[in-house]
Amino acid sequence: MTEYAIEARDVAVTYADGTEAVRGVDLLVETGEFFGFLGPNGAGKTTLIKTLVTLLRPTDGTVTVNGFDAVAEPQSVRATVGYMPQETSIDPELTARENLRFACDAYGVSRAERGDRIDELLALVELTDVADKVADDFSGGMKKRLDAATALVHRPPLVFLDEPTTGLDPAARNRLWEYFQRINDEGTTVFLTTQYLEEADQLCDRLSVIQDGSVVADGTPETLKRRVGGEILDVELAEPAESERAVAVARDESLFAEGATITPTESGLTVTARDARTRGTDLLVALRDADIGVVGFDVRAPTLDDVFLAVTGERTEAAAADGGDVQAEAVSNGGDAREAAMTDDGETGAAPDADGVSR
Amino acid sequence: MSVKTGDRYGGSFASDVWTTFVRWTIKSVRNPFVLVVSLVQPIIFLVLFTQVFGGVATSALEGVTYETYLVPAIVIQVALVAAATSGIGLVNDIENGMFEKTLVSPMNRVAVFVGKTLAEVVRIIAQVTIVLSLGVVLGAEIATGLTGAVAIAGICVLFSVWFTAFSNVLAVVTRDEESTIIGANLLQLPLLFVSSAFLPLPALPTWIQTVATFNPITYGVDATRAVMLGEDTMTVIEVTRFGGMWDTLVPALAVLVCLALAFGSVAIYAISRAASADVR
Repeated sequence: MTEYAIEARDVAVTYADGTEAVRGVDLLVETGEFFGFLGPNGAGKTTLIKTLVTLLRPTDGTVTVNGFDAVAEPQSVRATVGYMPQETSIDPELTARENLRFACDAYGVSRAERGDRIDELLALVELTDVADKVADDFSGGMKKRLDAATALVHRPPLVFLDEPTTGLDPAARNRLWEYFQRINDEGTTVFLTTQYLEEADQLCDRLSVIQDGSVVADGTPETLKRRVGGEILDVELAEPAESERAVAVARDESLFAEGATITPTESGLTVTARDARTRGTDLLVALRDADIGVVGFDVRAPTLDDVFLAVTGERTEAAAADGGDVQAEAVSNGGDAREAAMTDDGETGAAPDADGVSR
Repeated sequence: MSVKTGDRYGGSFASDVWTTFVRWTIKSVRNPFVLVVSLVQPIIFLVLFTQVFGGVATSALEGVTYETYLVPAIVIQVALVAAATSGIGLVNDIENGMFEKTLVSPMNRVAVFVGKTLAEVVRIIAQVTIVLSLGVVLGAEIATGLTGAVAIAGICVLFSVWFTAFSNVLAVVTRDEESTIIGANLLQLPLLFVSSAFLPLPALPTWIQTVATFNPITYGVDATRAVMLGEDTMTVIEVTRFGGMWDTLVPALAVLVCLALAFGSVAIYAISRAASADVR
């Protein structure tokens, strides 16, 4: 086994129209790791995955996957990775069993092994009962599970999952999480991109955040959350339209310690600060004095959503759909929220090791 | 430590061809609608043309019935229509993600194209057999007998390769079902009419005779017609070296083989480069 399942150094991908989708990305993913790759829509996640699975050639830099150079040895890379693209990719006119048989044959699984492997995978994704039904009749969740199974037929040491649970209901999502966790427990390296930060939080050993084609943060979920800098105070206003004025009050009064970020939300405002808990009541008093009604507040530990917002200045599509801002303008006592872009070292931008590579 | 993982590199070229062939054949069998619908237009042409032009044309054909004259054109039209639908299948594959899934697997790209084309060949043979049988029922005669019928099916298969490739290139370039259908259909009828398909070339205007010389359909139709009549039927190229129908078959098949290689190579290149072509 190689020490690193993925070694990407200074990778850039520029499309023919000049769009720089990925710029100078360094990435090391250890064998056996469950690695999360996060970023807003259009940040470059899918472009990088497609480069790692040899669908795209890097314009610059080097990519090594499972010890094979992705440009010089693409066939070896293809033979040793599983790939579940963002959009479900199964043949709707074939049955579940036929889809798996096609995948087995495509990856050269021997005939002696094929039957057992198909049965094993059908059982894994709980499709044994509908194995001989045409996939077109399946629900979205069943199609996704079948898609995941086809990516695993050849027991790849590394699996790429590009937003595998997007569009699924929570129950279907939870089932897929179990499968992914199980294959990772069995030793498979998993590279996951997702819109659901809860998913990344629960599954991933380590995360990188990409924005505008560059890695802007990486570390374990816990490390990244700690780097947000304190606790989160959510304030719900009686008149959400007054959130900008409330942010101005919070900022003008210099209520919170330096480095705090104060962000308007759809229902009020959010404060991220080391002293959010102790100075929270002062903010409520200041808001009352400014004649701004408050109907609720909550002090909590940071989530990956807060990490994502702090690093990218945006909420994920999933978080936005749950009621947050798609593009929140962060105002802080100490500067722009993006300055809080975090690494394990607490530095701005990706944390380079001695080789200049994020780990 | 850097021990390379994985010792499996997919199957052999032949197994990749077979894997692809099986998938597309299952899809064809499961969806006979495409087979039936793509037969409708040629059969309408066969029935209508023999009824509308049969009386007039037969007098100009020197002892050959219009049914016998027309059937070679209709079987080539069948191959043309079937080949045009090939790109639609590829667009569907692109849309449902199977194309990308195939590209990211270790399957040989050439084998993927060959396997898909072979599945379409089987469909074309079935359709040509149906049209030939109908033609015989309507009064057409195959001078070279059963062997000739098999040869006609073979010529149709060879003829279909260039248009299958063209249709697949359209699919990869446009990635859109409607554009692929429009692009392929736009060429079908004009190409049929500016060829030797429906009337002898000497009976057509000079400019059409000139265009027909460069029209692949002329070579497909002349080759099948030569087998149908058992004689030399080619008028765009004068060859007398081989004798009888071979004076038509040899140059026509040479042209069709060259077209198949040229268009097939472009299609394989386009399919192989489909994913990465957008990157600098």
